[in-house]
Amino acid sequence: MAEALLSKKNKKIIKDGLWEANPITFQVLGICSALAVTTQVKTALVMAIGLTTVTAMSNVIISLIRNFIPSKIRIIVQLTVVSTVVILIDQILKAYFFDVSKQLSVFVGLIITNCIVMGRLEAFAMSNPPRKAFLDGLGNGLGYSCVLITLGIIRELFGSGTLWGYHVIPHSFYEAGYVNNGLMVLAPGAFFLLGCIIWIQRSISGYSEVK
Amino acid sequence: MKGNRYTFLFAVIVCVVCGVLLSAVAEGLRHRQEVNAALDVKKNILKAVKLIEPIPPEATPRDILEIYQVKIDEKVIDAEGNIIEGKKPEEIKETEKNQYPLYIYHEREQIVAYAFPIAGQGLWSTLYGYFALEPDAITVRGITFYKHGETPGLGGEIEKEWFQKNFEGKTIWSKKEKKLTPIAVVKGHVEDIYQDERADFHVDGITAATITSSGVTALLDRWTRIYDPFFSRIRQGR
Repeated sequence: MAEALLSKKNKKIIKDGLWEANPITFQVLGICSALAVTTQVKTALVMAIGLTTVTAMSNVIISLIRNFIPSKIRIIVQLTVVSTVVILIDQILKAYFFDVSKQLSVFVGLIITNCIVMGRLEAFAMSNPPRKAFLDGLGNGLGYSCVLITLGIIRELFGSGTLWGYHVIPHSFYEAGYVNNGLMVLAPGAFFLLGCIIWIQRSISGYSEVK
Repeated sequence: MKGNRYTFLFAVIVCVVCGVLLSAVAEGLRHRQEVNAALDVKKNILKAVKLIEPIPPEATPRDILEIYQVKIDEKVIDAEGNIIEGKKPEEIKETEKNQYPLYIYHEREQIVAYAFPIAGQGLWSTLYGYFALEPDAITVRGITFYKHGETPGLGGEIEKEWFQKNFEGKTIWSKKEKKLTPIAVVKGHVEDIYQDERADFHVDGITAATITSSGVTALLDRWTRIYDPFFSRIRQGR
């Protein structure tokens, strides 16, 4: 019996990735890209879409062949699958969405090394059927996306005074002595912000490392 | 636990499947990708020379190619600055070291700009772009960077309009000292550093991208000097 796509259990899989077990705030994975690509909302969004697609797709593939993968070489098989999916997407973007692919530039390659992708493969796809694996990939991807976009909005707004490339802080503010916060543009600024986001999220969700 | 033979076999199958899949896709899409890349280069030449009537946003690839064909003359020059008649940039062989492409933009028989390709090392990657001068061979008309692998938001800002706009109207020739002054990128704002003629040879830098900025300075120095034999003749009215 196939269960409904959005049954209670399946909803929980998505919700876990989004909130309870959010890859960034709970598992503290994918920090590198969360710092590197969040200076602007646009790049953050593109990276978020890319990572969500890759996580969901490779989760499905690994889940389909999970019973055949020899456990000795499972990590390298996972890595091969992830790289193949990423390169495939990159090639298709270059052929059909050239402008998008130019914007993504180095990020596509960065997805291969993103711990979230392999983390989900190892933790979930290896022991669950494809449909669940897909939802898990989607949930985690979306959880990552939320944090990334939040960071992107805060950093772009306070670091450059723009949102989505448009100036939103009025010129009169600058004339009155307001200055963009240079720290926001740099990686350390993202570190502080990310720390605050993790703190806030954890206090709301009630997670504590000390049980 | 499955045996070693199975493990090896599985590894080989995974490699072959992924390898074949990727090569097939790459080969199948190569033509489209090359067409895209070639079109992007032409778009960037048109952008560097700042067309008097800008390309409308709804222009199709074919429209862009047509505008390019009508308005841009492709030439090749040698190290002494002579135009090699009848030669096109794509005909330059890799073994021919001292030959450089030059793109001349004209409107109604009048030359409006000269553009040439620039390339050099940034922080993570090689930066590729075009640099265009006004017919006086002194004033910068435009610059573009169309390919690079710099950090987005930091070094990646070189592809942004604010950075490229920076260059427009600057000059590569000091009238006071009668010498070539390739444009250099400063740290911070030019007006805070230079109040004299030198403000015309420098542009604002990118915060937190010092190495990319000095890469731009170095590549502009190099290519401005390489093309100078040609431009100095124009300046002297020859």
